[in-house]
Amino acid sequence: MDFRFDIIVEYAPFLLKGTLLTIGLSIAGILIGTVFGLFIGLGKMLQNKLLAFPFTVYITFFRGTPLFVQILLVHFGVVPFLIGETNAIYAAIIALSLNSAAYIAEIFRAGIESIDKGQMEAARSLGMNHVQAMWHVILPQAFKRMIPPLGNEFIVLIKESSLAAVITAPEIMYWGRAMAGQYYKVWEPYLAAAVIYLILTISLSFLLNRLERRLKTE
Amino acid sequence: MIKVQNLKKSFGDNEVLKDINLSIEPQEVVVVIGPSGSGKSTLLRCINLLESITGGHILIEDKDITDKKNDINKMREEVGMVFQHFNLFPHKTVIENLMLAPTKVRKVSSVEARKKGMELLQKVGLEEKANAYPSSLSGGQKQRVAIARALAMEPKIMLFDEPTSALDPEVVGEVLEVMKQLAKEGMTMVVVTHEMGFAREVGDRVIFMDGGYIVEENEPKQLFESPQHERTQAFLSKIL
Ligand SMILES: Nc1ncnc2c1ncn2[C@@H]1O[C@H](COP(=O)(O)OP(=O)(O)OP(=O)(O)O)[C@@H](O)[C@H]1O
Ligand SMILES: [Mg+2]
Repeated sequence: MDFRFDIIVEYAPFLLKGTLLTIGLSIAGILIGTVFGLFIGLGKMLQNKLLAFPFTVYITFFRGTPLFVQILLVHFGVVPFLIGETNAIYAAIIALSLNSAAYIAEIFRAGIESIDKGQMEAARSLGMNHVQAMWHVILPQAFKRMIPPLGNEFIVLIKESSLAAVITAPEIMYWGRAMAGQYYKVWEPYLAAAVIYLILTISLSFLLNRLERRLKTE
Repeated sequence: MIKVQNLKKSFGDNEVLKDINLSIEPQEVVVVIGPSGSGKSTLLRCINLLESITGGHILIEDKDITDKKNDINKMREEVGMVFQHFNLFPHKTVIENLMLAPTKVRKVSSVEARKKGMELLQKVGLEEKANAYPSSLSGGQKQRVAIARALAMEPKIMLFDEPTSALDPEVVGEVLEVMKQLAKEGMTMVVVTHEMGFAREVGDRVIFMDGGYIVEENEPKQLFESPQHERTQAFLSKIL
Protein backbone atom coordinates (compact mmCIF):
# COMPACT_ATOMS: atom_id res chain seq x y z
CA MET A 1 0.00 0.00 0.00
CA ASP A 2 1.48 3.33 -0.96
CA PHE A 3 0.36 6.27 1.10
CA ARG A 4 -0.14 9.27 -1.20
CA PHE A 5 0.88 12.37 0.69
CA ASP A 6 0.62 14.30 -2.55
CA ILE A 7 -3.16 14.14 -2.62
CA ILE A 8 -3.31 15.40 0.96
CA VAL A 9 -1.07 18.29 -0.09
CA GLU A 10 -3.30 18.91 -3.08
CA TYR A 11 -6.34 19.04 -0.83
CA ALA A 12 -4.61 21.02 1.93
CA PRO A 13 -6.16 24.39 0.98
CA PHE A 14 -9.63 22.81 0.99
CA LEU A 15 -9.01 21.03 4.26
CA LEU A 16 -7.85 24.32 5.73
CA LYS A 17 -11.02 26.06 4.57
CA GLY A 18 -12.98 23.13 5.95
CA THR A 19 -11.18 23.44 9.27
CA LEU A 20 -12.10 27.12 9.48
CA LEU A 21 -15.71 26.24 8.81
CA THR A 22 -15.64 23.47 11.42
CA ILE A 23 -14.28 25.94 13.95
CA GLY A 24 -16.87 28.51 12.89
CA LEU A 25 -19.73 26.03 13.15
CA SER A 26 -18.66 24.88 16.62
CA ILE A 27 -18.11 28.40 17.92
CA ALA A 28 -21.50 29.50 16.59
CA GLY A 29 -23.03 26.36 18.07
CA ILE A 30 -21.51 26.88 21.52
CA LEU A 31 -22.30 30.61 21.65
CA ILE A 32 -25.88 30.43 20.43
CA GLY A 33 -26.35 27.22 22.39
CA THR A 34 -25.12 28.92 25.58
CA VAL A 35 -27.51 31.86 25.33
CA PHE A 36 -30.38 29.64 24.32
CA GLY A 37 -29.40 26.96 26.83
CA LEU A 38 -29.40 29.44 29.71
CA PHE A 39 -32.92 30.46 28.77
CA ILE A 40 -34.11 26.85 28.49
CA GLY A 41 -32.33 25.80 31.67
CA LEU A 42 -33.99 28.62 33.63
CA GLY A 43 -37.31 27.68 32.01
CA LYS A 44 -36.95 24.10 33.14
CA MET A 45 -36.32 25.28 36.70
CA LEU A 46 -39.56 27.28 36.88
CA GLN A 47 -41.58 26.48 39.97
CA ASN A 48 -44.75 26.23 37.91
CA LYS A 49 -44.63 22.72 36.44
CA LEU A 50 -46.96 23.64 33.60
CA LEU A 51 -44.72 26.48 32.43
CA ALA A 52 -41.63 24.32 32.83
CA PHE A 53 -43.10 21.49 30.77
CA PRO A 54 -42.29 22.80 27.26
CA PHE A 55 -38.67 23.28 28.29
CA THR A 56 -38.50 19.74 29.60
CA VAL A 57 -39.94 18.49 26.31
CA TYR A 58 -37.35 20.46 24.39
CA ILE A 59 -34.47 18.99 26.38
CA THR A 60 -35.88 15.48 26.17
CA PHE A 61 -36.33 15.72 22.40
CA PHE A 62 -32.90 17.08 21.57
CA ARG A 63 -31.05 14.78 23.94
CA GLY A 64 -33.16 11.77 23.06
CA THR A 65 -32.82 11.85 19.27
CA PRO A 66 -29.65 11.56 17.15
CA LEU A 67 -28.02 14.79 16.04
CA PHE A 68 -27.92 13.24 12.56
CA VAL A 69 -31.72 13.13 12.46
CA GLN A 70 -31.92 16.69 13.80
CA ILE A 71 -29.55 17.96 11.10
CA LEU A 72 -31.64 16.34 8.36
CA LEU A 73 -34.88 17.70 9.85
CA VAL A 74 -33.47 21.21 10.03
CA HIS A 75 -31.84 21.06 6.60
CA PHE A 76 -34.74 19.59 4.65
CA GLY A 77 -37.60 20.80 6.83
CA VAL A 78 -37.01 23.80 9.06
CA VAL A 79 -34.72 25.97 6.91
CA PRO A 80 -36.77 25.59 3.67
CA PHE A 81 -39.86 26.34 5.71
CA LEU A 82 -38.31 29.52 7.08
CA ILE A 83 -36.53 30.98 4.05
CA GLY A 84 -38.04 29.08 1.13
CA GLU A 85 -34.82 27.28 0.16
CA THR A 86 -32.26 25.34 2.08
CA ASN A 87 -28.75 26.37 3.05
CA ALA A 88 -26.33 23.85 4.45
CA ILE A 89 -24.35 26.25 6.64
CA TYR A 90 -27.43 27.84 8.19
CA ALA A 91 -28.90 24.40 8.73
CA ALA A 92 -25.71 23.14 10.38
CA ILE A 93 -25.49 26.16 12.69
CA ILE A 94 -29.15 25.91 13.65
CA ALA A 95 -29.07 22.18 14.28
CA LEU A 96 -25.84 22.34 16.29
CA SER A 97 -27.11 25.28 18.34
CA LEU A 98 -30.47 23.71 19.09
CA ASN A 99 -28.79 20.46 20.03
CA SER A 100 -26.10 21.99 22.23
CA ALA A 101 -28.70 24.25 23.87
CA ALA A 102 -30.38 21.16 25.29
CA TYR A 103 -27.15 19.85 26.78
CA ILE A 104 -26.07 23.30 27.96
CA ALA A 105 -29.47 23.82 29.59
CA GLU A 106 -28.74 20.79 31.75
CA ILE A 107 -25.23 22.06 32.45
CA PHE A 108 -26.71 25.36 33.61
CA ARG A 109 -29.32 23.69 35.74
CA ALA A 110 -26.75 21.46 37.41
CA GLY A 111 -24.44 24.45 37.92
CA ILE A 112 -27.15 26.59 39.46
CA GLU A 113 -28.45 23.80 41.65
CA SER A 114 -24.94 23.08 42.90
CA ILE A 115 -24.84 26.52 44.57
CA ASP A 116 -25.71 26.37 48.25
CA LYS A 117 -29.31 27.39 48.97
CA GLY A 118 -28.02 29.80 51.62
CA GLN A 119 -26.64 32.04 48.88
CA MET A 120 -30.07 32.73 47.43
CA GLU A 121 -31.51 33.19 50.93
CA ALA A 122 -28.80 35.63 51.95
CA ALA A 123 -29.35 37.63 48.77
CA ARG A 124 -33.11 37.68 49.24
CA SER A 125 -32.79 38.60 52.91
CA LEU A 126 -30.83 41.68 51.81
CA GLY A 127 -33.80 42.81 49.75
CA MET A 128 -32.67 41.64 46.31
CA ASN A 129 -35.38 40.29 44.07
CA HIS A 130 -35.07 36.89 42.42
CA VAL A 131 -33.55 38.24 39.20
CA GLN A 132 -30.99 40.39 41.03
CA ALA A 133 -30.02 37.48 43.26
CA MET A 134 -29.63 35.20 40.26
CA TRP A 135 -27.63 37.70 38.27
CA HIS A 136 -25.30 39.05 40.95
CA VAL A 137 -24.95 36.09 43.29
CA ILE A 138 -25.93 32.73 41.83
CA LEU A 139 -24.92 32.91 38.16
CA PRO A 140 -21.37 34.25 38.66
CA GLN A 141 -20.65 31.36 41.01
CA ALA A 142 -22.47 28.79 38.91
CA PHE A 143 -20.72 29.96 35.76
CA LYS A 144 -17.33 29.07 37.16
CA ARG A 145 -18.51 25.55 37.81
CA MET A 146 -20.03 25.34 34.35
CA ILE A 147 -16.80 26.05 32.51
CA PRO A 148 -15.42 22.48 32.52
CA PRO A 149 -18.65 20.86 31.25
CA LEU A 150 -19.15 23.72 28.78
CA GLY A 151 -15.66 23.11 27.44
CA ASN A 152 -16.50 19.46 27.13
CA GLU A 153 -19.61 20.35 25.16
CA PHE A 154 -17.47 22.52 22.88
CA ILE A 155 -15.22 19.53 22.14
CA VAL A 156 -18.26 17.37 21.44
CA LEU A 157 -19.54 20.00 19.02
CA ILE A 158 -16.26 20.12 17.10
CA LYS A 159 -16.51 16.39 16.53
CA GLU A 160 -20.21 16.21 15.85
CA SER A 161 -20.15 19.10 13.39
CA SER A 162 -18.63 16.50 11.04
CA LEU A 163 -22.18 15.24 10.49
CA ALA A 164 -22.83 18.45 8.57
CA ALA A 165 -20.85 16.88 5.72
CA VAL A 166 -23.91 14.86 4.75
CA ILE A 167 -25.87 18.02 4.05
CA THR A 168 -22.87 19.33 2.06
CA ALA A 169 -21.71 22.00 4.48
CA PRO A 170 -18.08 22.28 3.31
CA GLU A 171 -16.35 21.55 6.61
CA ILE A 172 -13.48 19.11 7.23
CA MET A 173 -15.32 15.87 6.56
CA TYR A 174 -16.97 17.26 3.45
CA TRP A 175 -13.55 17.76 1.87
CA GLY A 176 -12.36 14.43 3.24
CA ARG A 177 -15.22 12.70 1.48
CA ALA A 178 -14.59 14.70 -1.68
CA MET A 179 -10.98 13.56 -1.65
CA ALA A 180 -12.00 9.96 -1.08
CA GLY A 181 -14.47 10.16 -3.95
CA GLN A 182 -11.99 11.66 -6.40
CA TYR A 183 -9.08 9.28 -5.79
CA TYR A 184 -10.85 6.17 -4.51
CA LYS A 185 -8.64 6.34 -1.45
CA VAL A 186 -9.61 5.63 2.15
CA TRP A 187 -6.66 6.12 4.47
CA GLU A 188 -5.34 9.45 3.20
CA PRO A 189 -8.54 11.50 3.46
CA TYR A 190 -9.91 10.02 6.64
CA LEU A 191 -6.63 9.93 8.51
CA ALA A 192 -5.95 13.51 7.45
CA ALA A 193 -9.38 14.50 8.79
CA ALA A 194 -8.78 12.55 12.01
CA VAL A 195 -5.47 14.33 12.58
CA ILE A 196 -7.08 17.73 12.08
CA TYR A 197 -9.86 16.92 14.55
CA LEU A 198 -7.30 15.67 17.05
CA ILE A 199 -5.28 18.88 16.75
CA LEU A 200 -8.43 20.91 17.35
CA THR A 201 -9.71 18.93 20.32
CA ILE A 202 -6.32 18.52 22.00
CA SER A 203 -5.53 22.24 21.73
CA LEU A 204 -8.94 23.10 23.09
CA SER A 205 -8.63 20.80 26.08
CA PHE A 206 -5.19 22.23 26.75
CA LEU A 207 -6.64 25.74 26.80
CA LEU A 208 -9.51 24.64 28.99
CA ASN A 209 -7.19 23.02 31.49
CA ARG A 210 -5.22 26.21 31.81
CA LEU A 211 -8.38 28.26 32.20
CA GLU A 212 -9.66 25.91 34.88
CA ARG A 213 -6.43 26.11 36.80
CA ARG A 214 -6.48 29.90 36.58
CA LEU A 215 -10.02 30.02 37.92
CA LYS A 216 -9.23 27.62 40.72
CA THR A 217 -6.42 29.73 42.11
CA GLU A 218 -8.51 32.90 41.96
CA MET B 1 -42.40 46.93 66.20
CA ILE B 2 -43.07 43.31 65.19
CA LYS B 3 -46.38 41.64 65.87
CA VAL B 4 -46.86 37.99 65.08
CA GLN B 5 -50.49 36.91 65.25
CA ASN B 6 -51.70 33.32 65.15
CA LEU B 7 -48.82 32.37 62.89
CA LYS B 8 -49.03 28.90 61.38
CA LYS B 9 -46.57 27.21 59.10
CA SER B 10 -46.71 23.72 57.63
CA PHE B 11 -44.36 21.81 55.37
CA GLY B 12 -46.78 19.45 53.67
CA ASP B 13 -48.57 17.62 56.45
CA ASN B 14 -45.98 18.61 59.02
CA GLU B 15 -47.23 21.58 61.01
CA VAL B 16 -44.07 23.19 62.33
CA LEU B 17 -45.48 26.42 63.78
CA LYS B 18 -48.87 25.86 65.34
CA ASP B 19 -50.08 29.12 66.80
CA ILE B 20 -47.41 31.69 67.45
CA ASN B 21 -48.30 35.02 69.04
CA LEU B 22 -45.51 37.39 69.75
CA SER B 23 -44.98 41.08 70.08
CA ILE B 24 -41.59 42.73 70.00
CA GLU B 25 -41.05 46.31 71.05
CA PRO B 26 -38.56 48.70 69.47
CA GLN B 27 -35.03 48.26 70.84
CA GLU B 28 -35.97 45.03 72.50
CA VAL B 29 -33.65 42.03 72.38
CA VAL B 30 -35.59 38.79 72.35
CA VAL B 31 -33.75 35.51 72.71
CA VAL B 32 -35.41 32.37 71.40
CA ILE B 33 -34.44 28.99 72.84
CA GLY B 34 -35.84 25.52 72.45
CA PRO B 35 -34.99 21.96 71.42
CA SER B 36 -33.95 21.04 67.91
CA GLY B 37 -36.89 20.91 65.54
CA SER B 38 -39.10 23.11 67.69
CA GLY B 39 -39.47 25.65 64.87
CA LYS B 40 -37.07 28.42 65.93
CA SER B 41 -35.43 28.81 62.55
CA THR B 42 -38.76 28.52 60.80
CA LEU B 43 -40.13 31.37 62.92
CA LEU B 44 -37.24 33.66 61.95
CA ARG B 45 -37.51 32.63 58.32
CA CYS B 46 -41.22 33.47 58.35
CA ILE B 47 -40.54 36.90 59.81
CA ASN B 48 -38.12 37.48 56.95
CA LEU B 49 -40.52 35.96 54.42
CA LEU B 50 -38.02 33.33 53.39
CA GLU B 51 -40.89 30.91 54.01
CA SER B 52 -44.44 31.49 52.90
CA ILE B 53 -46.72 31.24 55.89
CA THR B 54 -49.75 28.97 56.12
CA GLY B 55 -51.88 31.12 58.42
CA GLY B 56 -51.94 34.23 60.59
CA HIS B 57 -50.30 37.62 60.20
CA ILE B 58 -46.94 39.25 60.70
CA LEU B 59 -46.89 43.00 61.14
CA ILE B 60 -43.79 45.13 61.04
CA GLU B 61 -44.48 48.66 62.20
CA ASP B 62 -48.18 48.02 61.59
CA LYS B 63 -47.59 46.98 57.98
CA ASP B 64 -48.83 43.47 57.30
CA ILE B 65 -45.92 41.86 55.49
CA THR B 66 -48.00 38.82 54.70
CA ASP B 67 -50.44 40.95 52.73
CA LYS B 68 -49.92 40.09 49.06
CA LYS B 69 -50.41 43.74 48.16
CA ASN B 70 -47.18 44.72 49.92
CA ASP B 71 -43.88 44.37 48.10
CA ILE B 72 -42.02 41.45 49.68
CA ASN B 73 -38.60 42.77 48.67
CA LYS B 74 -39.29 46.17 50.22
CA MET B 75 -40.34 44.40 53.43
CA ARG B 76 -37.20 42.29 53.46
CA GLU B 77 -35.02 45.37 53.27
CA GLU B 78 -36.31 46.35 56.69
CA VAL B 79 -35.29 43.05 58.24
CA GLY B 80 -31.66 41.95 58.40
CA MET B 81 -30.83 38.30 58.82
CA VAL B 82 -27.68 36.59 60.03
CA PHE B 83 -27.37 32.88 59.31
CA GLN B 84 -25.66 30.07 61.12
CA HIS B 85 -23.43 29.38 58.12
CA PHE B 86 -22.74 33.05 57.29
CA ASN B 87 -23.69 32.70 53.61
CA LEU B 88 -21.19 35.31 52.50
CA PHE B 89 -20.84 35.69 48.75
CA PRO B 90 -17.57 33.84 48.03
CA HIS B 91 -16.97 35.44 44.64
CA LYS B 92 -16.93 38.93 46.13
CA THR B 93 -14.48 40.61 48.47
CA VAL B 94 -15.55 41.58 51.96
CA ILE B 95 -16.30 45.18 51.02
CA GLU B 96 -18.11 44.04 47.86
CA ASN B 97 -20.26 41.78 50.02
CA LEU B 98 -21.29 44.86 51.96
CA MET B 99 -21.79 47.04 48.89
CA LEU B 100 -23.82 44.68 46.72
CA ALA B 101 -27.30 45.12 48.16
CA PRO B 102 -27.09 48.88 48.84
CA THR B 103 -25.92 49.58 45.28
CA LYS B 104 -28.25 47.16 43.50
CA VAL B 105 -31.35 47.44 45.67
CA ARG B 106 -31.12 50.94 47.13
CA LYS B 107 -29.24 52.32 44.10
CA VAL B 108 -26.76 54.02 46.41
CA SER B 109 -23.64 55.20 44.53
CA SER B 110 -20.70 52.86 44.91
CA VAL B 111 -18.59 55.63 46.46
CA GLU B 112 -21.16 56.13 49.15
CA ALA B 113 -21.72 52.40 49.64
CA ARG B 114 -17.99 51.86 50.04
CA LYS B 115 -17.75 54.64 52.61
CA LYS B 116 -20.65 53.24 54.59
CA GLY B 117 -19.24 49.72 54.20
CA MET B 118 -15.86 50.76 55.58
CA GLU B 119 -17.54 52.37 58.58
CA LEU B 120 -19.40 49.16 59.28
CA LEU B 121 -16.25 47.07 58.89
CA GLN B 122 -14.54 49.34 61.35
CA LYS B 123 -17.41 48.82 63.72
CA VAL B 124 -16.99 45.03 63.59
CA GLY B 125 -13.20 45.43 63.70
CA LEU B 126 -12.40 44.18 60.22
CA GLU B 127 -11.56 47.22 58.14
CA GLU B 128 -8.18 45.74 57.26
CA LYS B 129 -9.95 42.78 55.64
CA ALA B 130 -11.99 44.92 53.24
CA ASN B 131 -10.29 43.57 50.13
CA ALA B 132 -9.93 39.97 51.29
CA TYR B 133 -12.13 37.19 49.98
CA PRO B 134 -14.37 35.42 52.50
CA SER B 135 -12.51 32.12 52.07
CA SER B 136 -9.46 33.66 53.74
CA LEU B 137 -11.35 34.63 56.91
CA SER B 138 -11.87 32.69 60.11
CA GLY B 139 -15.40 31.69 61.08
CA GLY B 140 -15.68 34.49 63.61
CA GLN B 141 -14.51 37.04 61.06
CA LYS B 142 -16.95 35.69 58.50
CA GLN B 143 -19.84 36.07 60.87
CA ARG B 144 -18.81 39.62 61.75
CA VAL B 145 -18.73 40.43 58.04
CA ALA B 146 -22.17 38.85 57.66
CA ILE B 147 -23.49 41.08 60.44
CA ALA B 148 -21.95 44.15 58.81
CA ARG B 149 -23.43 43.12 55.46
CA ALA B 150 -26.91 42.93 56.95
CA LEU B 151 -26.41 46.30 58.69
CA ALA B 152 -25.42 47.90 55.38
CA MET B 153 -29.09 47.85 54.39
CA GLU B 154 -29.93 49.78 57.56
CA PRO B 155 -32.57 47.33 58.74
CA LYS B 156 -34.94 48.18 61.54
CA ILE B 157 -34.74 44.69 62.96
CA MET B 158 -31.98 42.10 62.98
CA LEU B 159 -32.68 38.37 63.12
CA PHE B 160 -29.93 36.00 64.19
CA ASP B 161 -30.29 32.26 63.66
CA GLU B 162 -27.73 30.51 65.85
CA PRO B 163 -25.00 32.93 64.76
CA THR B 164 -22.30 31.29 66.86
CA SER B 165 -23.12 27.60 66.72
CA ALA B 166 -20.96 26.90 63.66
CA LEU B 167 -17.97 28.63 65.24
CA ASP B 168 -14.95 27.36 67.08
CA PRO B 169 -15.36 28.13 70.78
CA GLU B 170 -12.46 30.58 70.86
CA VAL B 171 -14.09 32.93 68.31
CA VAL B 172 -17.63 32.85 69.69
CA GLY B 173 -16.80 35.74 72.01
CA GLU B 174 -15.84 38.20 69.27
CA VAL B 175 -19.17 37.67 67.50
CA LEU B 176 -21.20 37.98 70.70
CA GLU B 177 -19.29 41.17 71.48
CA VAL B 178 -20.44 42.71 68.19
CA MET B 179 -24.00 41.66 68.92
CA LYS B 180 -23.87 43.13 72.40
CA GLN B 181 -22.62 46.40 70.98
CA LEU B 182 -25.49 46.39 68.51
CA ALA B 183 -27.99 45.79 71.28
CA LYS B 184 -26.50 48.63 73.28
CA GLU B 185 -26.99 50.95 70.33
CA GLY B 186 -30.66 50.16 70.44
CA MET B 187 -31.09 47.69 67.59
CA THR B 188 -34.22 45.58 67.79
CA MET B 189 -33.03 41.98 67.72
CA VAL B 190 -34.42 38.47 67.69
CA VAL B 191 -31.71 35.94 68.47
CA VAL B 192 -31.94 32.17 68.35
CA THR B 193 -29.03 30.94 70.41
CA HIS B 194 -27.79 28.43 72.92
CA GLU B 195 -25.52 31.02 74.50
CA MET B 196 -27.23 31.39 77.85
CA GLY B 197 -24.65 33.91 79.05
CA PHE B 198 -25.57 36.18 76.17
CA ALA B 199 -29.29 35.67 76.86
CA ARG B 200 -28.86 36.67 80.48
CA GLU B 201 -26.67 39.64 79.83
CA VAL B 202 -28.27 41.15 76.76
CA GLY B 203 -31.72 39.63 76.46
CA ASP B 204 -34.71 41.64 77.57
CA ARG B 205 -36.88 38.60 77.19
CA VAL B 206 -36.38 34.91 76.56
CA ILE B 207 -38.87 32.80 74.65
CA PHE B 208 -38.92 29.06 75.04
CA MET B 209 -40.35 27.21 72.05
CA ASP B 210 -41.29 23.56 71.85
CA GLY B 211 -43.32 21.60 69.33
CA GLY B 212 -44.32 24.64 67.33
CA TYR B 213 -45.65 26.63 70.28
CA ILE B 214 -44.24 29.33 72.49
CA VAL B 215 -44.38 27.46 75.78
CA GLU B 216 -43.12 30.17 78.03
CA GLU B 217 -41.64 33.63 77.91
CA ASN B 218 -40.14 35.79 80.59
CA GLU B 219 -37.23 37.94 81.59
CA PRO B 220 -34.02 35.91 81.33
CA LYS B 221 -33.38 35.75 85.07
CA GLN B 222 -36.87 34.55 85.89
CA LEU B 223 -37.07 32.09 83.00
CA PHE B 224 -33.73 30.52 83.79
CA GLU B 225 -34.10 30.47 87.56
CA SER B 226 -37.72 29.63 87.98
CA PRO B 227 -39.20 28.18 84.84
CA GLN B 228 -42.94 27.60 85.16
CA HIS B 229 -43.45 24.77 82.71
CA GLU B 230 -42.23 21.26 83.02
CA ARG B 231 -40.95 21.24 79.44
CA THR B 232 -38.94 24.40 80.04
CA GLN B 233 -37.46 22.88 83.19
CA ALA B 234 -36.57 19.68 81.34
CA PHE B 235 -34.92 21.61 78.51
CA LEU B 236 -33.00 23.93 80.80
CA SER B 237 -31.76 21.11 82.98
CA LYS B 238 -30.24 19.56 79.88
CA ILE B 239 -28.38 22.62 78.64
CA LEU B 240 -27.44 24.57 81.73
N1 LIG C 1 -37.83 23.34 54.09
C1 LIG C 1 -38.38 22.41 54.91
N2 LIG C 1 -39.12 21.41 54.39
C2 LIG C 1 -39.69 20.48 55.20
N3 LIG C 1 -39.58 20.47 56.54
C3 LIG C 1 -38.85 21.45 57.10
C4 LIG C 1 -38.22 22.46 56.32
N4 LIG C 1 -37.56 23.30 57.16
C5 LIG C 1 -37.77 22.83 58.40
N5 LIG C 1 -38.55 21.72 58.38
C6 LIG C 1 -39.01 20.97 59.55
O1 LIG C 1 -39.57 21.86 60.45
C7 LIG C 1 -39.26 21.51 61.79
C8 LIG C 1 -38.70 22.68 62.51
O2 LIG C 1 -37.48 23.06 61.91
P1 LIG C 1 -36.63 24.30 62.38
O3 LIG C 1 -35.44 24.34 61.52
O4 LIG C 1 -37.48 25.50 62.43
O5 LIG C 1 -36.24 23.89 63.86
P2 LIG C 1 -35.23 24.58 64.85
O6 LIG C 1 -35.98 24.83 66.09
O7 LIG C 1 -34.55 25.72 64.20
O8 LIG C 1 -34.19 23.41 65.11
P3 LIG C 1 -32.59 23.48 65.26
O9 LIG C 1 -32.31 23.81 66.70
O10 LIG C 1 -32.17 22.08 64.95
O11 LIG C 1 -32.08 24.48 64.30
C9 LIG C 1 -38.32 20.31 61.72
O12 LIG C 1 -39.06 19.16 61.99
C10 LIG C 1 -37.86 20.32 60.28
O13 LIG C 1 -37.67 18.99 59.84
MG1 LIG D 1 -32.60 26.11 63.50
